[in-house]
Amino acid sequence: MQNKIIKGKIWILRDSSEKVIDDIDTDQIFHNRYLAITDINEMGKYTLDNLEGWNDFSQKVEPGDIVITGRNFGSGSSRQQAVDCFKSLKVNAIVAESFGAIYKRNAINSGFPILIWKEIKEMVESGKINDRDEIEINLETGSMKNITKDIACEMEPFSNVQMEIYEAGNIFKSE
Amino acid sequence: MGKTFAEKALGKKAGKEVSRNDIVTIIPDFVMSHDNSAAISIIFKKLEVEKVYDPDMPVIILDHTVPAATVKYAENHKIIREFVKKQKIKNFYGMNRNGGICHQVLPEKGFALPGSLIVGSDSHTTTYGAFGAFSAGIGRSEAAVIWATGKIWLKVPESIKIIVTGKFPKGVSAKDLILYIIGKIGADGAIYNSVEFSGGTIKKMSIASRMVLTNMAAEMGAKNGYIAPDKKIFEFLKGRAVREYEPIYPDKDAEYANELEFDVSNLEPQIASPHTVDNVHPISELEGKPFNQALIGSCTNGRLEDLKAASEILRDKKVHKDVRVLIFPASYEVYLNAMANGYIKTLIEAGCVIMNPGCGPCLGAHEGVLAKGEVALSTTNRNFKGRMGSPESEIYLASPATVAASAIEGKFTDVRKNRC
Repeated sequence: MQNKIIKGKIWILRDSSEKVIDDIDTDQIFHNRYLAITDINEMGKYTLDNLEGWNDFSQKVEPGDIVITGRNFGSGSSRQQAVDCFKSLKVNAIVAESFGAIYKRNAINSGFPILIWKEIKEMVESGKINDRDEIEINLETGSMKNITKDIACEMEPFSNVQMEIYEAGNIFKSE
Repeated sequence: MGKTFAEKALGKKAGKEVSRNDIVTIIPDFVMSHDNSAAISIIFKKLEVEKVYDPDMPVIILDHTVPAATVKYAENHKIIREFVKKQKIKNFYGMNRNGGICHQVLPEKGFALPGSLIVGSDSHTTTYGAFGAFSAGIGRSEAAVIWATGKIWLKVPESIKIIVTGKFPKGVSAKDLILYIIGKIGADGAIYNSVEFSGGTIKKMSIASRMVLTNMAAEMGAKNGYIAPDKKIFEFLKGRAVREYEPIYPDKDAEYANELEFDVSNLEPQIASPHTVDNVHPISELEGKPFNQALIGSCTNGRLEDLKAASEILRDKKVHKDVRVLIFPASYEVYLNAMANGYIKTLIEAGCVIMNPGCGPCLGAHEGVLAKGEVALSTTNRNFKGRMGSPESEIYLASPATVAASAIEGKFTDVRKNRC
């Protein structure tokens, strides 16, 4: 049984002007020069290494961390390595304003928690969430607690199909 | 309330009436995969299923790195060839007269059928919507699951209707239109949506031009693209269709999340600047920019009409000395026709390099990648940072006519000012 409440410290993917980044494509997440890699354990160290300002992500991320980002995260290619690289680093979840259509499927099918939270930029700009805050998300209800700042808010909960696959572990086990 | 194309197509496969946001489990007609079939077959083996659910369902086309660029790619191709043989998969197109880029070969071989449902482990699987198919990109794990079980879950998408009217000015084409649309609505402007293209301009378009639109629907985040199949499509499929088909059309009173109208009468040639496809500018804002490499080809613009447009501009001209031009016909059928029509000879005489049908450097794997600081002007569909080689190179996207005219001058050029 998978845990329906997850907890972790956050990284907010911001650019040099402190703006939350939109449209982070699969080449920025996992560049095409690493596509021949098939071992998931080898993928982690290349995560986000083509995203300006974040090429040291794999060194600073800690197991259990949660990544927060803007609109259309994972747009572009169908490459599953762009999801697997975060799993490889033991990232707990990715929360975005929206996800690329195939990225979303890849994450759901591999049982990796992704959540949609439309108000991310508002929350970041008003200082309600900050890098390294510890948050707790209830995947079933979408309720989120910023433990560090003692603030509660709501994001979109898992869909039924997402929960079904997550509970099974991944798409293979749910078949 | 009437139904959209997506609701009707998925409802038909699900065997029940469905509406937007419903989840359905269906059996697709075909599942397309390319060089990533090696990875898919490795996942398939882990599922401990002896045989594929239906050996006629997978369509496997090698295109991403053909011929193999490294030992690793060669080994992947070997895994695929052995898997295809063992599983008796007959819809396999390797590196030969029947090959080319998956999104061109699959329609040529008669799999892209009106009303059919095709999924593919490639993001530009949306292309087959130009033939009236519901076609969408998926990941490789789920492709392996379909090989094993025949089934896939899909969410019925909401739909956006894009109506296009007007006559294209000379030198302006479908590529300029789709870049313009993406520039207007954004890289996530149609996220998760089914995009239905319609209107007089689309009706008059060639199949190749329609494929440019559905191909690049992926670049606005669309789940799939769709164009109502007509006589042009039915004629094309004569002697090609692998099975009988039944077109599906949206109801007239279908409900759309959004309806957008575009008139192409005064459209300028468009260019997408680095590093997002929605960073689109009219040529007038970028004219005169020098560049190093031109690419004409890909699943977006490597068809006969694209090579024709390029060869008409390059006839009796010479490519600028500071520019190298790579031509990638989308398939061997296209290649042979381009030869028969003299386009290939014209392009070679002008100074272009003719490459084998395939994806080439579009995804930075081989055959003409970019060095640090280099600039490419390309007819491909993505200009993501570093996609074509060095992360410090730049990719600009344009139509075949713009690329050809610019190749002569050695700098970004307005094709409408071209002397021919």
